[in-house]
Amino acid sequence: MTPAIVQTAALARRSIFATFRFPQAWFPSLFFPLVLMAIFTASFGRSIGFIPGFPHVDGFLSFAVTGAIVQGVLISSVGAGAFFAGDIEGGFFDRLVSSPTSRSAILLSRLCASVVLAGGQAIFFLLIALIFGATIQGGIVGALIVVVLAALLAIPMAGLGIFLALRTGSAEAVQGMFPLFFALMFFSSTFFPRETMTGWFQVAADINPISHLVEGMREQIISGVNWQQAAVSFGIIAVLAAIAVGACALSFRRRLGGDA
Amino acid sequence: MTDAIVVEGLVREFKGGIRAVDGIDLHVRAGEVYGFLGPNGAGKSTTVRMLTTLLRPTAGKASVAGFDVATEAGSVRRSIGVALQDAAIDPFMTGRELLRLQATLHAIPRADGHARAEVLLDRVGLTDAADRRVGTYSGGMRRRLDLALALVHEPVVLFLDEPTTGLDPTSRVALWEEVRRLNRESGTTVFLTTQYLEEADQLAGRIGIIDGGKIVAEGTPAELKNNIGDATLMITPTDPSRIADAAAVLQQFGPAADGKPGAAAIRLSEGAEGIAAVVRALDHAAISTAAIDLHQPTLDDVFVVTTGHRLEGDASAAPGSGRGRKGRRE
Amino acid sequence: MSASTFSRTASVSGMLAWRALILVRRMPAVFIPSLVMPLFILVATSGAFHGISAVPIGTSSYLAFTLPFATIMGAGFAGINAGMTLARDIEGGFVDRLIASPAPRLSLVAGPLTAAAMRSVFTTTVVLVAGLIGQLALPGILGTVMIYIMAASFAMATACWSMGVALRARTVQAAPMMQLVVFILVFTSVAYAPRDLQTGWLRTVSDWNPVTRILEFSRTAEFQSMSWTGFWGAIISIAVLMGIFGAFALYGLSRLGND
Ligand SMILES: Nc1ncnc2c1ncn2[C@@H]1O[C@H](COP(=O)(O)OP(=O)(O)OP(=O)(O)O)[C@@H](O)[C@H]1O
Ligand SMILES: [Mg+2]
Repeated sequence: MTPAIVQTAALARRSIFATFRFPQAWFPSLFFPLVLMAIFTASFGRSIGFIPGFPHVDGFLSFAVTGAIVQGVLISSVGAGAFFAGDIEGGFFDRLVSSPTSRSAILLSRLCASVVLAGGQAIFFLLIALIFGATIQGGIVGALIVVVLAALLAIPMAGLGIFLALRTGSAEAVQGMFPLFFALMFFSSTFFPRETMTGWFQVAADINPISHLVEGMREQIISGVNWQQAAVSFGIIAVLAAIAVGACALSFRRRLGGDA
Repeated sequence: MTDAIVVEGLVREFKGGIRAVDGIDLHVRAGEVYGFLGPNGAGKSTTVRMLTTLLRPTAGKASVAGFDVATEAGSVRRSIGVALQDAAIDPFMTGRELLRLQATLHAIPRADGHARAEVLLDRVGLTDAADRRVGTYSGGMRRRLDLALALVHEPVVLFLDEPTTGLDPTSRVALWEEVRRLNRESGTTVFLTTQYLEEADQLAGRIGIIDGGKIVAEGTPAELKNNIGDATLMITPTDPSRIADAAAVLQQFGPAADGKPGAAAIRLSEGAEGIAAVVRALDHAAISTAAIDLHQPTLDDVFVVTTGHRLEGDASAAPGSGRGRKGRRE
Repeated sequence: MSASTFSRTASVSGMLAWRALILVRRMPAVFIPSLVMPLFILVATSGAFHGISAVPIGTSSYLAFTLPFATIMGAGFAGINAGMTLARDIEGGFVDRLIASPAPRLSLVAGPLTAAAMRSVFTTTVVLVAGLIGQLALPGILGTVMIYIMAASFAMATACWSMGVALRARTVQAAPMMQLVVFILVFTSVAYAPRDLQTGWLRTVSDWNPVTRILEFSRTAEFQSMSWTGFWGAIISIAVLMGIFGAFALYGLSRLGND
């Protein structure tokens, strides 16, 4: 193995363990999506049959679990960004940069850690949903597609968090951006189908790439394995990931250039 | 009323068994400036917080301006002015707003409060900065505002917890002047804590030295210095080999004392007047001298003698510092 | 409480409330989010769940259904901010100054409480105006006044809770604790759907949750279908919340300087 891979693995392991050590790092990303999913399911479960345009599902929970997964990845990615910013504030970042550690290992390790954590999270949410009566029409393959997509989604999202960390250098500033991302999720079909929306809100949800991304994942759960939809989700993730990682690399260089 | 502050067996214990104040007795006469001197963690702030009703004593009694701090807290609060160690000033309000708010806290009628605010702003030289947010004030300005806030209701007893810590020498002297003036003109009793010997020496009529929660010495600065004994005279002979001869000569004038290496030293009871005789005797014995030092006792010496460690520049030796960082609030 | 103590408490509380309100203007970064959040809740919730309008929820507009949820959340934010300001004042030492003065201690809680109620009037107005823009007419004078009263009451109850936390924890770090309880209280009431439509655990929880009656009565005010039963249900729920949280805050107040 090349040193870069060894370094990446070591740093990624550090990030993962650090996440487990601090409950405030993982608790919100599991707790809030679960609570919202439970409240939405208990609030809307009886109504969906009467709503024109609501896709045929065997229960609201099956519909809602994808939203919870994406929301969880978002929250833990913001957390990853804040953690990275904490490394910058605390000087660990400077120590790394001034050591012979490869630059890409620093970035890559954080992303890898987020990917692993997001995959784990997705499995956790799916299991909880199954226990409470959700069904996965796509079966094992459908579930795998959802888990893989969720894991990959961590790349653009954590990338965004790290980008903000590199730009601001402040954990508090990164956390402060959270409501903005949360808002973005509401203006999409993450929590409710686009077909039931009207007016400008529907237009906003139509434009929002998160809608199409979530729908591609949700299709596997509520209808069955659908490779075409999965490809759409994958494509959106790939484009977002390219943008986020590119922005990270640029701001990384800028920070090291000393003018950050 | 002759005693402004009476403290008997006052104890304050914090969680974890820390006895920050460990049974102190104090008498501060009305109209006096009392200096409470001690190193970091000695228990100064804890004492002040108990005397100003911010903290309940674990044991013991204390009265301020004739009122018991535990049972007559309301009357105590009406009689005292307080400037705490970390100038508790809201950075988002202006100096004038804070003074008016403080007047309201003391139930001073609106018009009187406003008038009083102007008088005090002028007195502490903050009239020009009165409408700026306190966040933009310098450390010295904050301390002056803090003092003005403590004076809004013309208190009988004024508590100042380390009022000059962090101030430059000029601001420090200005604040001392203000405290003296207050004491002289209004007869306000001042209870002042400090880590600076010089400050206590300059300002206080009487000084209590606290260390590890206990009062280890008390008296006027002169008394404290006298108690630890006489001045030390040190003679450094030009020819180092003649130290023993020099010591023999000195012997006639007083008991030997510790001196610098290369010097002979004695305690000289007459102080400066005694030097002439010593010099004549040395002359007579044909010992030429390179240096003659007369060291008058200082509060620093008092401190070393009473606590066994130095106050300034040697914080690491202070037992108080070994007790860990203190919490911001009780 | 004698008349003079009362008037002193009132004048100091008034001064502290005035101070809390100036701080809104001087620290916009701290307060703007709590003004924007209710607006966001109104727009995002009513937009995302617009489909629920087709279900019998007492109105044909999910926007109208969401509006009281947004005013109550705005009130909750105003209450949380009262706690955060108090925590900051304890950390910064401002509270010491107050305690060492003869001012009645009660004003330490009563001042921010008043300020929270006043701020809820502001957030409620913002939400009502947003409703007007979304073509929701005001529900008559009585209905509108009731929406304001419910919001102000909830702001005071959550202010008591948050200040109680501040008085115990004595640090702004405790803010998540203040927020969590307020959010959970509102979200497990009838935030997203009326009780008839709720199922399972949520139905049980919302039956017992005092916020349910407050939100339900605000909704009947918005739909202009108020009833005395609903009114008294709301009043009793407010009394329960104020009783519990008020006692918590007063206990914290009495413990200041004790340990
Ligand atoms: N709230 C508290 N909880 C626990 N211990 C405390 C608390 N406040 C003070 N102490 C401890 O009590 C001791 C005395 O503290 P105090 O603040 O009275 O010292 P001080 O003489 O004012 O020191 P300084 O010069 O640093 O202000 C210290 O050991 C401190 O750690
Ligand atoms: Mg102190």
